[in-house]
Amino acid sequence: MATKLKPVDIAIVGLGWAGGILAKELASTGLKIVAFERGGPRATNPDFMAPQVHDELRYSRRHELIQNLRKETLTFRNDPSQRALPMRQLGSFLPGEGVGGAGTHWSGLHWRWTEWEHKMYSGTVAKYGKSIIPADMNLQDWPIDYHELEPYYDTFEKVCGTSGKAGNLRGTKIDGGNIFEAPRANEFPNPPLTQSHNMVLFEKAARNLGYHPFPVPASNASRAYVNPDGVTLGQCHYCGFCTAFGCEANAKASPHFTVIPLAYKNPNFEARTNSYVMKVNLDSKRKRAVSVTYLDAGGREFEQPADLVILAAYVFGNVHLMLHSKIGKPYDFQRNTGVVGRNYAYQSMGGVGALFPKDTYFNPFMGSGALGTWIDDFNSDNPDFAKLGFIGGGGISSGSNSGAPIGRRPTPPGSPRWGKGWKKAVVETYHRMTSVGNQGSVMSYRQNYLDLDPTYTDSFGRPMLRLTFDWQENEFRQMEFARGICATIAKEMGAEQVLSRRDRGRYSIVPYQTTHNTGGTVFGDDPRTSALNKYLQSWDVSNVFVVGSSAFPQNAGRNPTGPVGALAYRLADTLKNQYLKRPERLVSV
Amino acid sequence: MKVKRSVLASSLFALAFVSSARADGDAAAGATVFAQCAACHAVGAGAQNSVGPVLNGVVGRPAGTYPSYRYSSAMRRSGLTWDEGTLKEYLKGPEKLLPGTKMVFPGLANDADVSNVIAYLKQQKAE
Repeated sequence: MATKLKPVDIAIVGLGWAGGILAKELASTGLKIVAFERGGPRATNPDFMAPQVHDELRYSRRHELIQNLRKETLTFRNDPSQRALPMRQLGSFLPGEGVGGAGTHWSGLHWRWTEWEHKMYSGTVAKYGKSIIPADMNLQDWPIDYHELEPYYDTFEKVCGTSGKAGNLRGTKIDGGNIFEAPRANEFPNPPLTQSHNMVLFEKAARNLGYHPFPVPASNASRAYVNPDGVTLGQCHYCGFCTAFGCEANAKASPHFTVIPLAYKNPNFEARTNSYVMKVNLDSKRKRAVSVTYLDAGGREFEQPADLVILAAYVFGNVHLMLHSKIGKPYDFQRNTGVVGRNYAYQSMGGVGALFPKDTYFNPFMGSGALGTWIDDFNSDNPDFAKLGFIGGGGISSGSNSGAPIGRRPTPPGSPRWGKGWKKAVVETYHRMTSVGNQGSVMSYRQNYLDLDPTYTDSFGRPMLRLTFDWQENEFRQMEFARGICATIAKEMGAEQVLSRRDRGRYSIVPYQTTHNTGGTVFGDDPRTSALNKYLQSWDVSNVFVVGSSAFPQNAGRNPTGPVGALAYRLADTLKNQYLKRPERLVSV
Repeated sequence: MKVKRSVLASSLFALAFVSSARADGDAAAGATVFAQCAACHAVGAGAQNSVGPVLNGVVGRPAGTYPSYRYSSAMRRSGLTWDEGTLKEYLKGPEKLLPGTKMVFPGLANDADVSNVIAYLKQQKAE
């Protein structure tokens, strides 16, 4: 029996970037706000202090900052004909847990998506006609365009102290930046990070081939920086422990030391950590959320009444809560109707390995999460879709992110796989191996979706979320095309040997690929194909808002955190300027 | 153990040597240099321990002694007192002077920056 608590005004589920930004921005409303975080509290001191934070076994292998699968996990299958099984070990993706969420363990690649990436459907149709879209592809536009988001992209970059170089400043193209980016009002707040050797080679090779290389926008501060909120970021030390780790220097922008401590200063704000939200409870007409039910660290059940509920968890958490709380019509793949769980997408990580001559030293132990040089020449809608036979693209890059001793032990093909010979091969290869990678977009399809599993329940007794996903022909073509470009660049860089694996296998949930999952609670203009309206408000339950990459209709060939932060800042404005003044539907059906 | 002791002894010897050098830093310029420290260290009224300890009154303080800050054992056992000489060496390369320190900072390369930031720290009096 749940203990009913005193009502609050706003309940936020999840305290990562999205929840943290909202908690901080909504302080000015003077309303009572409670944020629920399933993991524990986190602060740079003591959680991420050197030297203990450089413990690769603890963070990168045993995943201390990642979702505890013993409490909740999802089931997985490649297609609807299979029986899904629970994911019992972390692999393909790593949803964060604890204050700061995935924002504590991200790498720091901080993108603005391009204009086309916000209007993939209409942008594609305008150029190629409707016939280019495969029948099973649910290609959709964002309900808002880049220009509406631009000021929020700008705010989020300034908060994070993003290091980079503009390539399109108010319409003026700038060599050395990304000339394919959408126009930005301002230069990045910090200059680019220092290049590593393989980046210098990549830049030169890409230029020789007529491409347009630029430094990856990095929320790893290239210099000490005070953000507009008065928070100081330290200078990145290129220690190479970003992805899967917290940053000991406060150089990698993370919510636990930027927005969240500012939210704590608000006496009307409370964060309840180690608190699992089970469900959003609705009124008898199922038109209004009245409360959330959660379990505290001791497993005691509480009901927290609230006037407004904001779901700001990871993609899977948002979709699971919507389905389990029966908010919005669940997606039915047979009929291609319903909205919650629709348009799940992922991202492809491919490319080639590049082995250089013996006297090459890439010093891979020095690096930073987002340290890389990139080209967008084959990303977004820059490739010719009609000629190449796929929709979408991929970012191609070479970087120095981690040379950590357990994770990085490259050997050329044909090397012994164990013992003395293997060790010798690792030692000889470590310094002279690099890669040219492709980060490919993934479109959304009828047969790739999320729903509730009919068989398995989590430790709380709720049906698990079921993920049905596989690569489709469109994505295979993109990956193969990009692999060819990556190989050409690697050769031009001077690689002695280019290591490429042609692989058209099914998607596997076992090896780590990327934590860039999208969709499931898509926002849009049509309630038949979107769970949320353009303000991220549920079409069905008007006091529920959902924020995060679960709102993206498809995935782009770049990282999602930039638009996630921008959407959170925009939602804060929507709530302050519109919804809280007149709490009702912001878009009529 | 033996090796450790000899390393410490030699670094103390080096410290004694540099301590005699005079430092005439510019505190105003040091305030700018301190921006590089501010992500972790606070000074001034109401300063609180953060990633690193509060630096009010650090000049003249025995190392590893600011209340409520959990120092590395390397720092607690260093036996150092922060004066111009020891600070100078530490700020140029924390890990070189005190292997095992929690202070992850590559060090200030410029001697003038070091003197200036020490002059600035001298102005930050103990509460």
